[in-house]
Amino acid sequence: MLLRLTVLLAALLSLRPGSDAHGTELPSPPSVWFEAEFFHHILHWTPIPNQSESTFYEVELLRYGIEPWKLIPTCRQTLMLSCDLTAVTLDLYHSSGYRARVRAVNSTQHSNWTVTNTRFSVDEVTLTVGSVKLEIHNGLILGKIQPPRPKMAPAGVTYESIFSHFREYEIAIRKVPGNFTFTHEKLRHENFSLQTSGEVGEFCIKVKPSISSRTNKGMWSKEECVSLTRQYFTVTNVIIFFAFVLLSGALACCRALQLYVRRRRKLPSVLLFTKPSAFNLSSQRPCPETQDTIHPLDEEAFLKVSPELRNLDLHGSTDSGFGSNKPSLQTEEPQFLLSDAHPQANRTLGSGEAPELGDSCSSDSSNSTDSGICLQERSLSPGTRPIWEQQVGSDSRGQDDSGIGLVQNSEGQAGDTQRGSALGHDSPPETEVPGEEDPAAVAFRGYLRQTRGTEEKATKTGCLGEESPLTDGLGPKFRALLDDEEGWHPPALAKGYLKQDPLEMTLASSGAPTGQWNQPTEEWSLLALSSCSDLGTSDWSFTHDLASLGCLAAPGGLLGSFNSDLVTLPLISSLHSNE
Amino acid sequence: MKLQSVSLWLLGIILILCSVDSRSFRRCLISTDMHHIEESFQEIKKAIQAKDTFPNVTVLSTLETLQSIKPLDVCCVTKNLLAFYVDRVFKDHQEPHPKILRKISSIANSFLYMQKTLQQCQEQRQCHCGQEATNVTRVIHDNYDQLEVRSAAIKSLGELDVFLAWIDKNHEVTSSA
Repeated sequence: MLLRLTVLLAALLSLRPGSDAHGTELPSPPSVWFEAEFFHHILHWTPIPNQSESTFYEVELLRYGIEPWKLIPTCRQTLMLSCDLTAVTLDLYHSSGYRARVRAVNSTQHSNWTVTNTRFSVDEVTLTVGSVKLEIHNGLILGKIQPPRPKMAPAGVTYESIFSHFREYEIAIRKVPGNFTFTHEKLRHENFSLQTSGEVGEFCIKVKPSISSRTNKGMWSKEECVSLTRQYFTVTNVIIFFAFVLLSGALACCRALQLYVRRRRKLPSVLLFTKPSAFNLSSQRPCPETQDTIHPLDEEAFLKVSPELRNLDLHGSTDSGFGSNKPSLQTEEPQFLLSDAHPQANRTLGSGEAPELGDSCSSDSSNSTDSGICLQERSLSPGTRPIWEQQVGSDSRGQDDSGIGLVQNSEGQAGDTQRGSALGHDSPPETEVPGEEDPAAVAFRGYLRQTRGTEEKATKTGCLGEESPLTDGLGPKFRALLDDEEGWHPPALAKGYLKQDPLEMTLASSGAPTGQWNQPTEEWSLLALSSCSDLGTSDWSFTHDLASLGCLAAPGGLLGSFNSDLVTLPLISSLHSNE
Repeated sequence: MKLQSVSLWLLGIILILCSVDSRSFRRCLISTDMHHIEESFQEIKKAIQAKDTFPNVTVLSTLETLQSIKPLDVCCVTKNLLAFYVDRVFKDHQEPHPKILRKISSIANSFLYMQKTLQQCQEQRQCHCGQEATNVTRVIHDNYDQLEVRSAAIKSLGELDVFLAWIDKNHEVTSSA
């Protein structure tokens, strides 16, 4: 009896729906969650602790807000811990979301449901990148990011269409041996370029996408590597090279052309002519020419020169070239200065000179254009030609006079060295002065030779041409003449000539020509020391000069007389006035 | 000629007004920082949505319903929903955890700010509520009433992301990330 009861009880118990046994025994999966990428939604769960071979899991999906749970049959496989629910969640990006639940089932039991914690929505999709393509162009790395292109996506639905704005990408670069360096810069576009600043080697790049307006997480892409090599034959380099070649060629052509244009050419034979040789003292110029030129000089001007003057060494050697024939001038007093004193001077002179000097002097104030040398206009004889040429013999006396024979030995004394006698002769033909020249007309009185070089024998060195540095306005003719006659020395010696300009001119410009006279003055002083006859001082103050010259030692009394005479003489007075 | 020109002018004016009209409301919340609210929600989303035990029921209706709202009604619906959350959901929810409470509070404050912005933007013209807008608002309130208060509050909080996404779409809010 009792045995039957127990069997019945067992049978009844076994017949009862065995839900209790299944539910209580089998645990539910601990957790369920979604792992989703763009159109790749995978549901994951953890297994139950005591899993057997026959245990499988059931997955149900619910669209949020819509009632029934839908069983997903494709997930019903043994020992599977994940299931791809993309096909049933295609509407994820336009809906509120999904909820999924999983339970463990074995042959006899099934567990409770485990639901996903959160509502599965777009926010849970992890962003990924499809691929990154790199290429090198001119030393730059150009990259192109490809969004994911899942197969399950419906037609027309792309990553760009769903996430239309605010797509960003973060880049990480590394040089092969080293670590990644993050640029911390987000790219806004799928195309980018990287500047490697000339480095060479292998570069690897990876990219992480994100949406700036969303909280979706991103995943780093796979590493893409590219190697950079130093390029020498880039387009820019080749262009630069060719440009350089062209430029250098052009420069060479220009230079060659320039040289060709400027080459030395030979002058045509027609144009060749003998170059005038440098001035040579020895060169024999056509001397007669100069002589000829000299000839036209107005001889009349010189006719008035008294032979006495001539005789007087008007210039110890620096005096005007007035017949500086006598070497004894050095002892002479400046008799010539005073027309009146001339007679006296003449007397003192060794040579018995005619005292007519004074006449001419007094008569013509203009006569003494010289530095006091009373160039007596007293013409000795009209016929006389000015003795331009100095007597040869007299030359040796050291008369470096210009040779202008202002001393007009009218009396055919040409060649005669003894002027003294000539003077005597000359005195009579006083009247024959070929017209008294006006003072102004008688501008040219000759030249006061200012310098006195070595008293060399005046040799006719020929035509020296215009090289004489006579700055006093001597015409070339005169210069030539002087050179010719006295063979005066190179210009160095002749410092210049006091041009015997008209009285007014010379005296008025006392200041101006001082400069010119500077040198001469010095020499004058020197000369004066040597020979007191040097009256050709630049200063027209005769008195002063005479005193400075210190030549008064000998003719002391004479000087005194001279002084007074100087003052009294009209000539001198005129001179003074002009001063 | 004259008639044509006059008609063209009228058409142009109407178009301008319409564009202005529709865009004005869409631009009202443009300065709101929606991203900040969305981030705050993401941090508490798991905790809140886990407590929702009724997945087959929704308060804010489905997204299709919200998406079907016309641009003219956007202003009214936005205003109503903001008032719904501020006046009912945030008040009914009792959050024990401080961290989550902090985030919910920040979201609530942002909603208050959005309400003010919307009010200033539409002071010039009335936010006219059409029939459809009124219907949607009523449905939401009914859904909320069908559930128990705590569950309804939790559920409504869990559905914040739907609401925020809808605002993003309809108000052209620029993201200030």
